[in-house]
Amino acid sequence: MPAPLKVVIVGGGTSGWMSAAALVAGLPPGLCEVRLVESDEIGIVGVGEATLPQIKDFNDHIGVDEADFMRQTQATFKLGIEFVDWGFKGSSYIHPFGVHGKPLGGVPFYQYWAKARLNGRVDDLGDYSLPIVASRQNRFAFPSTDEDGLSSNFAYAYHFDAHLYARFLRGFAEARGLRRTEGRIVDVTLKPEDGHIASIRLESGEVIAGDLFIDCSGFRSLLMGQALGVGYEDWTPWLPCDRAYAVPCERAGALTPYTRSTAREAGWQWRIPLQHRTGNGYVYSSRFISDDEAAATLLANLDGKALDDPRPLRFQAGRRETSWSRNCIAIGLASGFLEPLESTSIYLIQVAITNLLKLLPGRAIDPALVSEFNRLIDVEYGRVRDFLILHYHLNGRDDAPLWRYCREMPVPDSLTSRMALFEHRGHIAKYKDGLFQPPSWLAVFVGQGLLPAGYDPLVDNVLQEHILRELDQFRADVAQTVEAMRDHGGFVADFCAAPANRPLSSRVAS
Amino acid sequence: MSAQRIRDIVIVGGGTAGWMAAAALAKVMGTQAYTITLVESEAIGTVGVGEATIPMITMFNNVLGIDENEFVRETNATFKLGIEFAGWRREGHSYFHPFGQFGVDMDGVNFNHYWLRWMLSGGSNDYGRFNAETEAARQRRFGRTGHGPQTSLPNINYAFQFDASLYAAYLRRFSEKRGARRIEGQIVKVDRNGQTGLIERLTLKDGQTVQGQLFIDCSGFRGLLIEETLQAGYEDWSHWLPVNRAAAVPCAKVEEPIPYTRSTAREAGWQWRIPLQHRTGNGYVFCDSFISEDEATRLLMSRLDGEAQAEPRILRFVTGRRRKSWVGNCIALGLASGFMEPLESTSIHLVQVGISKLLAMFPKGGFNPLITDRYNAEMEADYVNIRDFLIAHYKVTEREDTPFWRYCKNMDIPDSLATRLEIFRTRGEAMVVQHELFKEQSWFAVLAGQGLMPVDYHPVADLLSEDELKLRLAKIRTGIQDRVSGLPTHQAFLDSCARAPAA
Amino acid sequence: MSRPVRNVVIVGRDAAAWLTALGLKRAFGRQGVNVTVLELPSMVRSADVLVGLPTLEGLHRLLGLDTDDMLAATAGAYALGQQFANWSQARPPFVHAYDTHGAPIHRIDFLQHWLKARSEGMNVPLEEFSLGAAAAKHGRFVVHGDATSGFSKARAGYHLDASAYIRLVRQKAIELSVQRQAGTLGEVVRSDSGIVSVSLAGGEPLAADLFVDASGVDAVLIGKVLEQPLESWSPWFGCDRVLVTSGPKLNPLPAMSRISGFKAGWIGMFPLRDRTPVVAAYDSRRISDAEMLQSASVLCGMRLGDAFVAPCEPGMRSAPWTGNCVAIGEAAVVLEPLDAASLHMIHVGLSHLITLFPVSAEAMLEAEPFNTSMQNHARNLRDFQIVHYRLNGRLDEPFWDRARETPPPPELAAQLDLFAARGAVALYDDETFQEENWASVLIGHGLIPRGYDPQVDTLAPDELIAAFQRMLGFIASTVRDMPSVEAQLELFAPLPSNASF
Repeated sequence: MPAPLKVVIVGGGTSGWMSAAALVAGLPPGLCEVRLVESDEIGIVGVGEATLPQIKDFNDHIGVDEADFMRQTQATFKLGIEFVDWGFKGSSYIHPFGVHGKPLGGVPFYQYWAKARLNGRVDDLGDYSLPIVASRQNRFAFPSTDEDGLSSNFAYAYHFDAHLYARFLRGFAEARGLRRTEGRIVDVTLKPEDGHIASIRLESGEVIAGDLFIDCSGFRSLLMGQALGVGYEDWTPWLPCDRAYAVPCERAGALTPYTRSTAREAGWQWRIPLQHRTGNGYVYSSRFISDDEAAATLLANLDGKALDDPRPLRFQAGRRETSWSRNCIAIGLASGFLEPLESTSIYLIQVAITNLLKLLPGRAIDPALVSEFNRLIDVEYGRVRDFLILHYHLNGRDDAPLWRYCREMPVPDSLTSRMALFEHRGHIAKYKDGLFQPPSWLAVFVGQGLLPAGYDPLVDNVLQEHILRELDQFRADVAQTVEAMRDHGGFVADFCAAPANRPLSSRVAS
Repeated sequence: MSAQRIRDIVIVGGGTAGWMAAAALAKVMGTQAYTITLVESEAIGTVGVGEATIPMITMFNNVLGIDENEFVRETNATFKLGIEFAGWRREGHSYFHPFGQFGVDMDGVNFNHYWLRWMLSGGSNDYGRFNAETEAARQRRFGRTGHGPQTSLPNINYAFQFDASLYAAYLRRFSEKRGARRIEGQIVKVDRNGQTGLIERLTLKDGQTVQGQLFIDCSGFRGLLIEETLQAGYEDWSHWLPVNRAAAVPCAKVEEPIPYTRSTAREAGWQWRIPLQHRTGNGYVFCDSFISEDEATRLLMSRLDGEAQAEPRILRFVTGRRRKSWVGNCIALGLASGFMEPLESTSIHLVQVGISKLLAMFPKGGFNPLITDRYNAEMEADYVNIRDFLIAHYKVTEREDTPFWRYCKNMDIPDSLATRLEIFRTRGEAMVVQHELFKEQSWFAVLAGQGLMPVDYHPVADLLSEDELKLRLAKIRTGIQDRVSGLPTHQAFLDSCARAPAA
Repeated sequence: MSRPVRNVVIVGRDAAAWLTALGLKRAFGRQGVNVTVLELPSMVRSADVLVGLPTLEGLHRLLGLDTDDMLAATAGAYALGQQFANWSQARPPFVHAYDTHGAPIHRIDFLQHWLKARSEGMNVPLEEFSLGAAAAKHGRFVVHGDATSGFSKARAGYHLDASAYIRLVRQKAIELSVQRQAGTLGEVVRSDSGIVSVSLAGGEPLAADLFVDASGVDAVLIGKVLEQPLESWSPWFGCDRVLVTSGPKLNPLPAMSRISGFKAGWIGMFPLRDRTPVVAAYDSRRISDAEMLQSASVLCGMRLGDAFVAPCEPGMRSAPWTGNCVAIGEAAVVLEPLDAASLHMIHVGLSHLITLFPVSAEAMLEAEPFNTSMQNHARNLRDFQIVHYRLNGRLDEPFWDRARETPPPPELAAQLDLFAARGAVALYDDETFQEENWASVLIGHGLIPRGYDPQVDTLAPDELIAAFQRMLGFIASTVRDMPSVEAQLELFAPLPSNASF
């Protein structure tokens, strides 16, 4: 067997520790020799963090036990995201992990709903989604394994304390041979012949050489941005938010199995329920509101007592021009930033890691692998970006400059076409790579007020009475199934209560 | 009764029956403790033309220890995979009654039921696809597959088509080599013991006498001993099997011989075509109530595919059987014991069966009526069974285009057969019992071929999923194709037999 | 709401016209959509064959056609893949089967393990690990069950007699009340926004809400009237003519197509149950039609019947749906008759037209996503075909040298680079062929990757060898146990029999 590939991860946090865990536990032992360098001094960005269902695959792949991980990270379950006030003030919809209804005659369910609506039957599309109805009632259950059943057609993810997750993965990785070094990096040495990174030097004087370097150093992008000089593509014109305040508060009320995003005057506020407290933040555009006002707004809109001062964050929406250059791969904030509106940050880390493992180089790095990696990551970022732009662009609010700006700004042609086509006949094109699939687009379109004026003509092959019967039946089935589900708080308490917590309240009147 | 030891066996009449008896006795009983004398008159002449057989004959040959290739060479034989019945169900239609199995029995149930399930749900009605012999016949191929090393490919069951007179001559050489004695002459007197009634002596025209304690009557229709002397009586079956004549003629071969017999239904009976190595045997079996001998002969001659090589001969008969084949110390074999048309090539088989039962029950000295009755009962059962099978060919027809066929279609039939047909119609089984010559697959081939299609089948056949059923059918078919495509042509195989050295 | 589409007129012929007619009528007929075919003279000759991918079964389901019935009516046969021979001087023939290779070991793709084993001296070809390829070579049909699940996805494609197939589709369409008028093209009236009416010579003009141009390379609407340009792909395809003829049926019946390179192009045999269609694509500058026919006979080793020739210019319209006119089939995309492409593009076009059937006769926003998808499909298929030429190993033959030296389109170049580096296959949106198909063809044509997934290095060689042997053993015993394609066809798609019994 050839000598192990020396991989040096610069930076901790979720991106660093996910990378580390994957390299030591998701690859055959002996393939890589992995070191991680982080400075506790610098501090970690993550507060409460929401995720996507793909994270379960990541955990499974490296061998993490679900209940154990949830216990250690104060995690709760997530069935979707509730968007409040986005379409217009007073509106609320949930973007669920799952499909609305079930297909009939090869045509997506919502087309039947759309036709019924155009014929006068106006009701909430969300009633046809089990995760949505369950969310509204604060209930949770694992999807069943019975493939045809109503109760199998949804997925779930988690809310957790990202700092604790990183710590959890650190324990996991170190137990499997990962070598952690604490320290600040002061210098990066490149090889003259090909510009690859040869080594890094710590404040302590230690020089660490490596074959492959993973830049998880956050916004600073010590390696990719600074040492290798790879530029950053700015997306602020489309996604004007550039700051955030984050603050945890006491838990209050029932434990909700969903994230909430409430649109505010100059951005939006997140609410992420954890077992021990609730994470909150106001993501805003400094063009449209001052920092003080933003902090005040956040504090005025907590549902429990603040447990700390609001912490400020600054960022720039955009993307490193390439995510893999020479022998350096940027993962996480070092490779780009998209606000956590759709909980995509950890997903983008995961996707980079997965693709890196698939295209893992030998000591000599083949440029074809690098090209393919970058192509795939470009697609992923592009998809998320466009989906986020949609949330802002498709707003019906006339009450604040940010929203007027977003409604009037030019957006990518592909997005304009998607909206036009949906409005025309409810069509949503699928694509092969990247998020989001048609059910997600559907939730946001409808939730923010873009309703189809036409529908798939194939729907007309089914008798109207039959359609109405199917709709009624499905809605009743969903309601009935959710009725039988446990409340989320009780479920979490039984399945994965974090040790040394205050006892969670189980049934709270909702 | 004081038993006189059997020492001298006398066979009256040659031909296939006589010489088969002689050969078997010579081989099994031998000529040390017994004498075997066959009395035949060349002058009388033997009936045989082209003759077809069924696979059981190989057992007979094996008992004699005959080398098959030598036998094939000596009798100008070709191989036979089955019989094609052309025009029996209706004009223009044809089906094949093969030897061997249909498909593979599965889960203890005959393959036919699986085929029926598939056919009744829309599959093809060609069951011949699932029989290796039918496929080989279609492709004019033949080969011996033996039952040797483990192979999942189906075997080929076969019989022979040969020149009966050459067969008789071959068996005669065999018998004489083993000490059987042939006397030529016509019998003019038969002497019986005054007290016992047993036959003691024959007197020939030239004055010779032949003594014996056991007599085998192979004298043909007249039944010189069994009927003329012992008056056993004859049971007439003409009302069920009306044909009573056969016009026979050999013709030149015009193509490589095909490995099967053809029986073509005609206006007043049917025509056989039996290909031999050197020529083809033909015959029109008919009923003279529906067509004259002259007309039948004329039609036969006009329907040959090669030039006639002799004058046509007429054979006259009454379908039926001797009421008793064994009376006293005389056993009748062949035509002396009964006659049924050669529709299913059963004549030589009945001789063989008669011989083998005789050998099994061979008396040491004295004749035990219990044994004799037993022999007669078994022979009767065999005859009746074959009779019913033959009747089915006529009764189950769609033809009504001539008086003959209208008669056959509407005639009464034995209850035993009527019951069998009805059971078959309802559940695809002929309920064959063990001793019967024609097994389930033969009944199935003929009844389905004639148009009696069952409406249902055994419930076990429903237990397989449809996909599994189709897979099994396809695999059976594949095995058959693989087997048959590996066989040489019939002619090539015959050539290889011709070259093979004698054992 | 704006005016719905009530009347569809299909102007064209043969498979494109009748499959589209049947598909649209079945999908929308119940709602009162009228479908009329203005049938132009057929371009199908008696020797023509239609080659179908396994996905054709899906098209039949959509159209309410029984595949077994189609096979019976067209003396059709199964093709479990296509064999490529003589595309290189040194390399042996290979089979591109419609199946995967091996099974992942420790979650790593089999190909990676194979590459490593090969680098260490193992010389069992990749296709030996494909159950589909083994079945194809032995004339067996793969029936899936518990044993094959997780290891093989082998499916069968089809060879179908073109005339008989089209006749049957037309009959079904007419049974469903598709209207038909036959004749030669008369007048086409257009406006700024699209086609107003079409008439046959001597006939009345027929107006419609939606027109389908199914007229093949003539492209009478999309090309001649709406003047949509054809983006030419000739630089990558050296052949400019196609010859079609027929030979006697082959015994035993092969279970795959066979494509053989020769000095000025390629020649393929696509056996049916009653004859063997032969299709050759060639460069008419290097070989005349007459010479081609002679060579065909020699190359196929059989006496051939009447031959038909026609030009072949690969390319596609960037906007096959323009205004109220949708082009389907060769009016939209022309590819070489390789890799079962032509029928597949009709399938793709029809399927997208049904999914994107316009809701309004006045504004057809559906055209845009339709065009995008069709372009993606067509370019991906084109690139798959270019691979055969780009990777050919017939050195010092001008036709082949040129093919090898022509730079491929950029997406294909990237795919080739990636595969050459690591045996990874990059796939884009709307691909016809998946990783295993690309791997079959790339490896078969000799593009052996330089490296492989380093995770493979950590596995014990004994374990790997044992796994390989198990796979080979499994394939050998499974293939022996499968029914033959002939038995399968005979029993479930029987030809009318003329045997006497």
